[in-house]
Amino acid sequence: MPQFENVNSKVVKAQVRPGQQVASRRGAMLAYVGEVSFYPANASNAGGGMGGMGGGSGLMRMAGRAMAGEHTALMVGDGQGEVYYGYAGMCAEIIHLDGSQPLTAESSRLLAHDLSLNSSVVFLGRGGVRAMAGAAATGEGLFTTQLVGVGEVALLAHGDVFRLEVRPDRPIVVDPQAYVGHVGQVSLNVSLNVSWRNAVGRGSGEAIQLQATGQGTVLVQASEQKF
Amino acid sequence: MTQFRLQGHKVLAVTVEGETFRAVTGAMVAYDGTVSFKHAGSGGGEGLRGAIKRRVTGESLALMECSGHGTVYLAREAADITVVPLAGDTLLVESSSVLAVGPGLRTDVQFTGLRGAASQQGLFTTSVTGNGEVAIVSDGPAVVLEVSPQYPLVVDPDAYVASLGRMTQSFVTDISWRNVVGEGSGEAFSLRFDGTGIVYIQPAER
Amino acid sequence: MSQQPLNPYTLPADDNINPYTYCIELQKPWFMQKGRMIAYYGQMSFEALSRYSSMDAMVASRFSSPLYAHDWVVATGHGKLILGDRGYNINSYDLDDGNLTIRAANLLAFQTGLQLKQSIVPGFLTLIGTGKFVASSNGPVIFLEPPVRVDPQALVGWADCPSPSHHYDARWMQGFLAMASAAFGRESGEERQFDFTGAGTVLMQSSENVMEDPALLRTVQAQAEALSLPQMNTLAAALTRRSQQQY
Repeated sequence: MPQFENVNSKVVKAQVRPGQQVASRRGAMLAYVGEVSFYPANASNAGGGMGGMGGGSGLMRMAGRAMAGEHTALMVGDGQGEVYYGYAGMCAEIIHLDGSQPLTAESSRLLAHDLSLNSSVVFLGRGGVRAMAGAAATGEGLFTTQLVGVGEVALLAHGDVFRLEVRPDRPIVVDPQAYVGHVGQVSLNVSLNVSWRNAVGRGSGEAIQLQATGQGTVLVQASEQKF
Repeated sequence: MTQFRLQGHKVLAVTVEGETFRAVTGAMVAYDGTVSFKHAGSGGGEGLRGAIKRRVTGESLALMECSGHGTVYLAREAADITVVPLAGDTLLVESSSVLAVGPGLRTDVQFTGLRGAASQQGLFTTSVTGNGEVAIVSDGPAVVLEVSPQYPLVVDPDAYVASLGRMTQSFVTDISWRNVVGEGSGEAFSLRFDGTGIVYIQPAER
Repeated sequence: MSQQPLNPYTLPADDNINPYTYCIELQKPWFMQKGRMIAYYGQMSFEALSRYSSMDAMVASRFSSPLYAHDWVVATGHGKLILGDRGYNINSYDLDDGNLTIRAANLLAFQTGLQLKQSIVPGFLTLIGTGKFVASSNGPVIFLEPPVRVDPQALVGWADCPSPSHHYDARWMQGFLAMASAAFGRESGEERQFDFTGAGTVLMQSSENVMEDPALLRTVQAQAEALSLPQMNTLAAALTRRSQQQY
């Protein structure tokens, strides 16, 4: 039996067993069968390691605080049973990781994942530390969580998720509001593009675009609004 | 030739090979190849006269011109997309429901008559005419309903998205209808379509 | 790619057109929530329930909930009536000499063969008898069987099994972090669930977003009149905390 499966496009059913805990976004638990308890994840009990949150460099501590500001607190589900996860009526997409390729996804889009996966937070953006703190507000960058190992991840998207293949000879450009994540060795370059501003149509303020190069798959959602 | 293809229900993939098509500004979520995007002007590509008309009537439609070689992926707030093929006829659609207009189609502003007087929509709407495809969006998958002299159709104005064909619109304002309107709904009337044509409605009220 | 247009002959009778729209073939009267009709063919009229009051025995005996009567109408006539609810998923269910308790905001319409009563659980209605009803939900409905614990906001209703009790996660309540969070007023949102046991079916929606119920708001406002000033301030603070917690 797979650990995660879609019950419908918006709900994921996860098997929880001793030693097979599930980390999830706070507030995402809809129902459960069996004996499962839920408590907040922090650096000390977060199993596989939320390396970017507790310790690490000053930069990563700031990232942790900024992430907390983005309300991406995680909960751990522990025990024996099945848990139904969903969030805000958004679509839930399951990605199976077989250990060969990492998954990188926008941190606030993680619905649930196998706690044994190794995770770290990477900030993608321009402008250094100050930009990090204001990233959510200005749209100048994004926090991404990288998950490595063998296990399953459920991601949230506004609308369906479709996959675009990236090849060395075929780079892709993605609207950062529509970017959900990517699998494989894909480099995302965040850049300003003046003519992009025409395409993206936001009034004042700078608009960034994401250029994806390399080899892998980019996950894009069917909406230009983040949520 | 520019091709409109649905990728699922909420994403439109448009493949261009050297042509130009128009799409709502901001609707692009991804693209590959070499495509350039340019504001189509405040007239939505209808020229100076179009710009003035839109300014005067308040029916704004912010379009951008996409040209080049590649595939552009368009979406609008995870709304459902319906592609309407036009063969010389005219589609009337609310500007907030337009997603993309194929090359060779002409857009214009049209007076809808008193329908708009008390509703959330303006007095004017956008018309799309010619040969080609136009992609419209709806809050939930659109339901396509036929209207004929044997069966006129009554529609909640907030659920109305677009219409095609030779029809007349009138109001239904009887007290009984007002009972169906819930709290918080602005509509005190409903729309009745008589004639021959097609109406697109959405499962949600605006 | 382009859909075939539907007309009164090709529209389904008492069935979904797509997951978000439902078509009723109106012959005998139906009770319907106001504001959910999006289009119809034929001749129909919609009378507010409040107009019926005690005059029509049929209506009075079938719809016993003064709190909600304000939001409901009786649809009579014939034709094809299309329902939609803010883009939420819509489904119909057949009750066969059964009873079902459902959140009032999720119930859209039901045949007059069923009886409606107000449940003692605030915000919920109970349907009894044999007949069809139409309900909407935020995301598709998921059916579960007890024993199961459901987040209160994800719950849509339950059939045949006893009313749920509250379940508090003991581990969560004892943990230090929990106490600290509670002291600062930060709830995880996971501490309390509805606990179902027995034989029956539990209906859950695909989201913890509750659909708005105007009658529930009226009830709470009316009850708040009875609060003292210090109690009102406590309530205001709790509401502010909750509104800041979203996303």
